[in-house]
Amino acid sequence: MNRNKNLPLTETVFYILLALAEPRHGYMIMQKVEELSEGQVKLAAGTLYGAIENLLKLDYIEPVQSDDVRRKVYIITDMGKQILRLEIDRMQHLLNISESCLL
Amino acid sequence: MRKFKFFFNYDKEEKWLEIMAQKGFMLKGVSIGYQFSTSSPEDKTIRIDYRHFKNQEEFLSYCTLFDDSGWRHIAGTRRSGTQYFERKNETCSDSIFSDAISEAGRYERVAKMWMSLAITYIPVMIALLMTNSLELQSLMNPKALYFTPGLWEREGISFWFGFLFETPFVLLRNFFWIPIILCIVLYILFALKSWRLYKKGPSSDRAD
Repeated sequence: MNRNKNLPLTETVFYILLALAEPRHGYMIMQKVEELSEGQVKLAAGTLYGAIENLLKLDYIEPVQSDDVRRKVYIITDMGKQILRLEIDRMQHLLNISESCLL
Repeated sequence: MRKFKFFFNYDKEEKWLEIMAQKGFMLKGVSIGYQFSTSSPEDKTIRIDYRHFKNQEEFLSYCTLFDDSGWRHIAGTRRSGTQYFERKNETCSDSIFSDAISEAGRYERVAKMWMSLAITYIPVMIALLMTNSLELQSLMNPKALYFTPGLWEREGISFWFGFLFETPFVLLRNFFWIPIILCIVLYILFALKSWRLYKKGPSSDRAD
């Protein structure tokens, strides 16, 4: 089986894609990720900016219309959802085999 | 106040700017050297990123993202590359990066910039080589580079006057390409230096 070369996703990317299930701008992404991770993952601005740029290039997210010119709003694309699925399957597999290996 | 300094290592540059702030010199701009305004000494947290922007809108949204998350943009322009931020309050984290890869990424971007500068000069060199403008063979016979009639038959003051008078013209005429080569070499060295910092990853010598 040929695995997608963008897998595995980094924790940062995984959380950003999850946060963009709904349209959000940069700072809202930070807040959502902190909430989703129960305070474990706090994205910093420099890291988030680079990640957004990269995700746009990969077509995993896209900009949506926003009233605020200074704050761009993004949402996950179908390709983004697809890669998220693949990543979840990969992690699910890891979980399954971990159980059987450890017990 | 203006100061001239050159850093490859962003951690060291950040630390220097923080020490300047402790002495009461606040960074307010970087163009030709660092410009400081004088104020009361303060403990500041200053961080540096390296990025260019396609357009003003993109630059604005970048600055806004930092501002929203607690970092004021204090110096740098759309095309300057180096972007300086100052922490607005103690509540946010003291880093503008939350993972090691993105922190090292700024060195990768600056290395690419030096490399592209070096590459832009290469066509110039190729053009000079192809048109035989370099006349490297004349290095074997430097006397031929001087056009003053009978220069090499002269003696004493008369020779030295003629020789020294023409030398700058000879250099300009035949060796104008040396600064270009120097630039290429220098840019490649800068690129390698930044590339090494990128490969090394985040340094452990940060103060806090």
